[in-house]
Amino acid sequence: MPHVEVLPNSASAAAPGWHYVVDTGYDPSKVAFNPKDRKRVAARPGGARGENELSARQQTAIARRIAELDRDNDMKQVVTVPGKQAPAKTQNARRIIQYQRQIKHWLDEEEALLQQAPPPRPTAAGARTGQTTRRQSTMPQTPAEGTPGPAQHIPTHIGFHGDAENDVDPLLSIQSSIPPPLKPAELEALLSAPPLSYAESHASPRAPGGPRQRQFCDNCGYWGKIKCLKCGARVCGLECKDAHEATRCLKWA
Amino acid sequence: MPPKGFKKASAAPNKTLVLDNGAYSLKAGLVPHTSVNPGYDDCSVLPNCIARSHRDRCTYTSSELFDCKDFGELAFRRPVEKGFIVNWEAEKAIWEHEFMDDTAKEGLRCDPTETNLLLTERPNCPKQLQSNCDEIVFEQFEFAAYYRGVGSTFNAYHPWNVDSVSALPQECLMVIDTSYSDTTIMPIYSGRLVQAAIRRLTVGGKLLTNYLKELASLRHYNMMEETYLLNEIKEAVSFVAPSMQQFSKDLERTWKGRLGDKRILDSTIVVDYVLPDYERSIHGYARPHDPAKSRMRRGLQPLQGPREDLLPLGNERFAVPELLFNPSDIGIQEAGLHEAIMESLNELPDALKAGMLANVVVVGGNSLIPGFMERLENELRPLVPAQYILDMRRAEDPIKHTWLGAAQFASQPDLLQQVLVSKAEYDERGSTWLLKKFSGKD
Repeated sequence: MPHVEVLPNSASAAAPGWHYVVDTGYDPSKVAFNPKDRKRVAARPGGARGENELSARQQTAIARRIAELDRDNDMKQVVTVPGKQAPAKTQNARRIIQYQRQIKHWLDEEEALLQQAPPPRPTAAGARTGQTTRRQSTMPQTPAEGTPGPAQHIPTHIGFHGDAENDVDPLLSIQSSIPPPLKPAELEALLSAPPLSYAESHASPRAPGGPRQRQFCDNCGYWGKIKCLKCGARVCGLECKDAHEATRCLKWA
Repeated sequence: MPPKGFKKASAAPNKTLVLDNGAYSLKAGLVPHTSVNPGYDDCSVLPNCIARSHRDRCTYTSSELFDCKDFGELAFRRPVEKGFIVNWEAEKAIWEHEFMDDTAKEGLRCDPTETNLLLTERPNCPKQLQSNCDEIVFEQFEFAAYYRGVGSTFNAYHPWNVDSVSALPQECLMVIDTSYSDTTIMPIYSGRLVQAAIRRLTVGGKLLTNYLKELASLRHYNMMEETYLLNEIKEAVSFVAPSMQQFSKDLERTWKGRLGDKRILDSTIVVDYVLPDYERSIHGYARPHDPAKSRMRRGLQPLQGPREDLLPLGNERFAVPELLFNPSDIGIQEAGLHEAIMESLNELPDALKAGMLANVVVVGGNSLIPGFMERLENELRPLVPAQYILDMRRAEDPIKHTWLGAAQFASQPDLLQQVLVSKAEYDERGSTWLLKKFSGKD
């Protein structure tokens, strides 16, 4: 190891805390936290957004738009009930009639109540396992009879069982198409399961391996073939791009 | 005269108000116990809203809307949100107007204290709202007896064929209710809902109307206040493309083309909707697209003929109802209707799955959109295992079907008596007990 000593001269100022370090190459942990070189962001591992990933701004805009489309009553337009109202008959009825809450308040309240005290579930109910697994596996399960394999022999007590036995050709046999009979306990567990909450009852999103999300032109509704450089929305051509920039571009939104 | 508050010990009164309280329309009818077989004609469909017009400064309550002459800029107040009764101030005014006051129609007027109420609700209702509803029914309206149940379960009480009048519900039934608020998939076994397998999509008639409103406002005129008109346009012109491939073809045919490579719009799909002006006409109508008219509108060609306002509709016609099958087109993170049906079925054991698929009934207003049933069948068939029978049909009248099922239930006194709760019972045991009883855990 050669000895390095900095000799004081007129060109170098002896700044406190200044010293040589060994250069070990590129260290990602030492890179500035919020780099400004946006053009090179794609070159860094995990740095760039994927082709179909949305920016936070786009996600907010979509969420807001869906909420707007799904809204029942416009709070800006107040429609009063015409005529004189019959008075409420009990204290309780008056309280309920005077509520000015919207559905989202009630749904939020229900969620909060469920969080606070999870309701007692029936033990080992079939519904319970169904409930917990449904968010994890979005792939439809292949039914047992759907998979080709050795014909399962299902003991059934159905009238035409005798006929099916005489059948020589296994392809013509209806044995494999008859699902196994219902177990009464399983059925009872399914029917007596508690209702899902409103939020839980929504259909789950498509499995990620499925067809890609279709993109449409923001202006005319044709396929969105071009991405707006400023905000990432899709347009179909130059004409729609101009219209998009004049009205809908999210760059300055 | 009996003292105040005296209740006869006799059984419940012998007529029932059957009320399917939808977000867009009330389906109501009085069913006497002796009625042989209630039919679609016994049902009245009334708007479930209070509307206010800025233009003539009138307020319309429910059926008064039938007499309205000017639907321009009509503001609606709907007491039912996402299928659940939320605003009781407005709902009370509507019920009183339609069933109790002098304004009520002859066939619907009733005295609540001498009538049973059979009220339908949507599944997965917040408990708070359910108990509010019970309290209002008994404490404010004072109905003699009452039952609240999920509307679709009554569909199981439709007889298999016209001749048989059986008190037993159908064994396996899958109801797909594509209504104003949302689209719900409900498997029903012997008249009982399989709660764990209920699935719903955000997309309903309301969302489709609002989407069309947004598209028309973006592309043509500002119509954000014209909800009524856009709903009418949606009902008049929209259709569902029979498959994904046909959707792409139709999209191609309705494209205007690039700059310098203009295409002629296909007038078999593109229509001009003649907007009503509320002076000479109240309702608009659609006719095939005429390019000369749209050039006139833009001032490229001198005006000829009477002045009229046209709304050209191209891909809006099929891209709007397409949301039912591809909610992700506008970024809703949900699978399409057919995939949601399979998701629901996968919660069930195989034997039930086969039974449900053999008896699928579609109800609700969106199923009236042309091509809906065809598309649903085309999408669902490849997902269903080949050895299962898929029998899917639309109810004869998808809007009144649930009401009719409930009316058939109510016209059988022995069925009805099992579920009704009388006011005396409620007064004694309270609303918490009632909530438990109606959820089947007493």
